[in-house]
Amino acid sequence: MSTELHWGFPVISYLFLAGLGAGALTVSASMFLSSGGTASAKSYFPEARYGALIAPVPVILGTFLLIFELGSFQVGDWFKWIKLFQVINLSPMSIGSWLLTIFIGISLVYAYAFWPRSRMTGDQLDKLRKTVAWIGIPMGIAVAVYTGVLLGAMPSRPFWNTPMLAILFLLSAMSSGVAVIMLVRALSRNGRAESEDTARSGYLLTKSDAMLIGFELLVVFLFIMFAHLTVGDVRHAVSIILFSDRSIELFGVNMAVTFWFWVIVVGLLIPVTIELFYIRSGRRHQKQFSVPRSVEIFVPIAVLVGGFMLRYVVVIAGQVTGSIGI
Amino acid sequence: MKTNVSSTRRDFLHKLGVSAAATAVAGTQPLTAHAAVRKRNIQYAMLIDTRRCTGCHACSVACKAEYDVPLGVNRSWVEYVEKGDYPNVTRNFLPRLCNHCDHPDCVSVCPTGATYKREEDGVVVIDEDVCIGCGYCIQACPYDMRFLNPVTGTAEKCDFCEHLVSKGIQPACVETCIGSARIFGDINDPTSEIAQMIATNPVSVLRPDKGTEPNVYYIAADHSGEHERQRNRYVRVTTHRKQKIRR
Repeated sequence: MSTELHWGFPVISYLFLAGLGAGALTVSASMFLSSGGTASAKSYFPEARYGALIAPVPVILGTFLLIFELGSFQVGDWFKWIKLFQVINLSPMSIGSWLLTIFIGISLVYAYAFWPRSRMTGDQLDKLRKTVAWIGIPMGIAVAVYTGVLLGAMPSRPFWNTPMLAILFLLSAMSSGVAVIMLVRALSRNGRAESEDTARSGYLLTKSDAMLIGFELLVVFLFIMFAHLTVGDVRHAVSIILFSDRSIELFGVNMAVTFWFWVIVVGLLIPVTIELFYIRSGRRHQKQFSVPRSVEIFVPIAVLVGGFMLRYVVVIAGQVTGSIGI
Repeated sequence: MKTNVSSTRRDFLHKLGVSAAATAVAGTQPLTAHAAVRKRNIQYAMLIDTRRCTGCHACSVACKAEYDVPLGVNRSWVEYVEKGDYPNVTRNFLPRLCNHCDHPDCVSVCPTGATYKREEDGVVVIDEDVCIGCGYCIQACPYDMRFLNPVTGTAEKCDFCEHLVSKGIQPACVETCIGSARIFGDINDPTSEIAQMIATNPVSVLRPDKGTEPNVYYIAADHSGEHERQRNRYVRVTTHRKQKIRR
């Protein structure tokens, strides 16, 4: 690669992991609140619990990676990042680090509230769960959006400099959140038969993910179309993910294949097709929604791989492209 | 970005202000003396007459030596722009340094307030005690002028040799230029050489479409880039730095 990358694997992973955690919490809180916000038998309590317990892990891990990539940390000044919290200004990174800190706190409290496995309605945690869920949804959305705003705020990087990116990262984060809950749910089901409750929650998760991926495809289409139908910097920059030959010739990397295969086909088209197939067959034959366990494991993995590759393509493509001319 | 700066930075600014005032009172240095008498905003700027540049890299070397810049990174450099097909060919030189923009994108993204545009002379500086090395400004600069210093772990770039200029000495690259291609001074002072040269010559800045209002001006700069190859024109840009392709 003939371009210096200042943001590499740690930042790519962070953007993915922060989105994953934010998505898991938002989806968990939404499912929990939409089904009554209690631990009653009819609520999506188990799924909300998976999301709640998962959420802090990727976010904290991602934040560590982010600190690891700081120049000051790499030369041994391990706590210089604290300076981020001595100021608050309009830099997306400044706002983002405050948001992230608050979000980590919220996600830990939320996980604590869901720690006991038993569905105890009216217990002490009941009120805490509901309150934190209400705060968690806007905070999760804010963290997911900020990861896109962080990249989008710079006119010097035409590939990133679009509001579409924030929406794309938000949708991808929510989709990853649904996927990780689906995955953990499928893994922990471990051969137990489909009950009416699990069928209901499985149907909701699958349906939501299909809808989110549908919107993601729309946003990707708009992103590409508006970039390609313009002239100058943005068109030049976006050609890196559209055409292999131009990507190699102009930028020395082949981002087009990575984008079309890993992001679009593996991350979006394959999962949405499978999901739509099971949603549709369940509806048509009036039978209980049921998905084979292997599929229930494969689909979320594809979504998560796609989500990671989306961050990979965007972060690399944005850095190797720039303005044309001088 | 002027809110809640750390005490170190305030001290730093204070000291600078005191030293600048002291030299101004002494009246030995024309650049600072002017400002003190007229009480108007100084905006240091540079004009590079590329017709007088021979591409000798003396400026890059002087800059490296002045700041002990680590291997592999540069605060300033000279790009070679080759174009055309034999016999109609040309090679032009484009010296590059921080533009000290009026609207610097690097400043607006800095999360710690470590980089800022100085009110007293318009120079964009980095406080390395506050910089955490996140790399955001490096991404945000439309001119790719910033880099992460591998020794200090902080962002770095040209600062118009503010340590020399505050003592009335020209920046290292200006002092060393064998062709006198570089003119440095206060662009807001109509009697300065740079203001007069800019007023009487056709000048250009780099990437004006970015809206950053750069303060490094060029006479006869070749703005050609390698993207023109798509129009079947031969252009080759040699950056003479680690980053081989202009971003």
